[in-house]
Amino acid sequence: MRIRISHETSYHYDAAPTGVIQTLRLTPRNHDDQYVVNWRIEVSEDCRLDVHEDAFGNIVHAFTADGPFTHLRVCVEGEVETQPADGVVHGAVERFPPSLFLRETSLTRVDAAIAEFARKSRSAQPADPLSTLHRLLDCVHGEIVYDTDPTHVGTTAAEAFALRRGVCQDLTHIFIAAARSLGTPARYIGGYFHRADGIIQQDAGHAWAEAYVPELGWIAFDPANGICATDAHVRVAVGLDYLGAAPVRGTRYGGGGERLAVAVHVDQAGRQAQN
Amino acid sequence: MLSRTADSIYWLARYVERAEYLARILEATQRLTALPLAYCGSTNEWESAVATAGCTGSFYKTYPEANEETVTEFLAFATVNASSIRNCFEGARSNARAVRTALTTEMWEAINGTWLDLKRFGAGPFTREELAQFLRWVQESSLRFDGSAYRTMLRNDAYWFSRLGLFIERADNTARILDVKYHLLLPAHQHVGGPLDYFQWAAILRSVSALTSYHWVYRESLKPWLIADLLILNDQMPRSLASCYENLVRHLDLIARAYGRQGPAQRLARAIRTRIENSRMEEIFQKGLHEFIGEFIADNNRLGSAITEQYLV
Repeated sequence: MRIRISHETSYHYDAAPTGVIQTLRLTPRNHDDQYVVNWRIEVSEDCRLDVHEDAFGNIVHAFTADGPFTHLRVCVEGEVETQPADGVVHGAVERFPPSLFLRETSLTRVDAAIAEFARKSRSAQPADPLSTLHRLLDCVHGEIVYDTDPTHVGTTAAEAFALRRGVCQDLTHIFIAAARSLGTPARYIGGYFHRADGIIQQDAGHAWAEAYVPELGWIAFDPANGICATDAHVRVAVGLDYLGAAPVRGTRYGGGGERLAVAVHVDQAGRQAQN
Repeated sequence: MLSRTADSIYWLARYVERAEYLARILEATQRLTALPLAYCGSTNEWESAVATAGCTGSFYKTYPEANEETVTEFLAFATVNASSIRNCFEGARSNARAVRTALTTEMWEAINGTWLDLKRFGAGPFTREELAQFLRWVQESSLRFDGSAYRTMLRNDAYWFSRLGLFIERADNTARILDVKYHLLLPAHQHVGGPLDYFQWAAILRSVSALTSYHWVYRESLKPWLIADLLILNDQMPRSLASCYENLVRHLDLIARAYGRQGPAQRLARAIRTRIENSRMEEIFQKGLHEFIGEFIADNNRLGSAITEQYLV
């Protein structure tokens, strides 16, 4: 699938800050089933975008913009071509052994409720990690209601699980926490999702999880949609949790009254015939 | 565009690039053998020049022994060697003539002029000085041809096919240099840091015009793993594998877009590029440089046949 993405993050400040520093994990990398045809980052202020690679192999851009300004806009847009791979990730950058992704973070701390929930999903076929993960995927998708209201970016897996509500980020955290409590390495993936129902404008990027199954490798599970990742998913950043894979992180000097607006467009680009 | 035309343009560019590469190998070898014996060790530089050119088999069918005279003769002038410099220019010129109308006047004049000048050099024998002049002339001819293509061609499929030929050939050449010299790149070499190493490594870099670039990039003395890094992973270095594949993918994409159809060649090129992009030098050394390069050369050949299959026949 050829997917065209544009992702605009704009800030409005009532009181102009004297400077802003941000790191952007907004650039997808190629792997066997994903090819970045073109990709561009634009920042509305004069600044230098420094590129480097973080420990997980994500491409990170960092910039410092000197104020004062009342608006700041970070725009990325580009085209990515994907191939269906039944959720298996082939040829992606791997900088660490899978066992690193058993590490617990504050956003994915396992409490008694999640541990119990994970145990229940395992009981069916204990010997087979893949079917356990599929069951877990169904349970998270079935039990947690997708709701954009009650949670925010700092909500932990345990809090969201107690509410039984959340957005893709929370569902992914719950899935990761549960998988790790069963001894399966799992990680957070930030990216984009092309919706089959034709809705192009989205309020945010998408998030899903990857879990490691011996002999198969990393498998992508999307608990918000209750499916394994398809060619509609564009993989951008890998992390232990949301904070490690967040598209934009940063801080500002001075200023105040910050308002943030995010607009994401994910659309299918003009098709090319395959032969 | 007719497949036949695309094929001629593709091979025209490949032959010119190959001629230049052979001249570079001969020049580097000549430089190495001109050093005092104490520096050169016991390896036969001329033998490794034949290996780098990838024609050891056919060489020993014609000549019993590899030395300056036979190797120069074989790589530069021999008509029996299908890819000697002479035959490369012959092949380039006859391909150019077949598609004369698809080329610009400047390109045609560059390649035809080269072919006419070639006669002036006859069949040797040469003094070392004359040979050095000849090798410079080969490289200049290639520069002139490539420059005239770059400056005068319309950016359409004809141009893109010429780039494909050029970069497939260049990637193959760089990989071969690394492969033949790879034993020098192994860190556990006896004379690490010795004069032999220095001259050998400098010769590798010189043969791909990268000695100055090396110092610009790393700002330190010649280190084997950094040389491998420069020639494999550094996409700023125009003869590195990474840079060749960046260009191959780009031009294949342009062709796919213009024709509204893509196929195995695009997919294969992207897969190879992804692999290079996602590799790190430590991992490559751990897995074995020789294995990595061997795999790469096989992949590159596979891409060559995929392009042929998809567009040129």
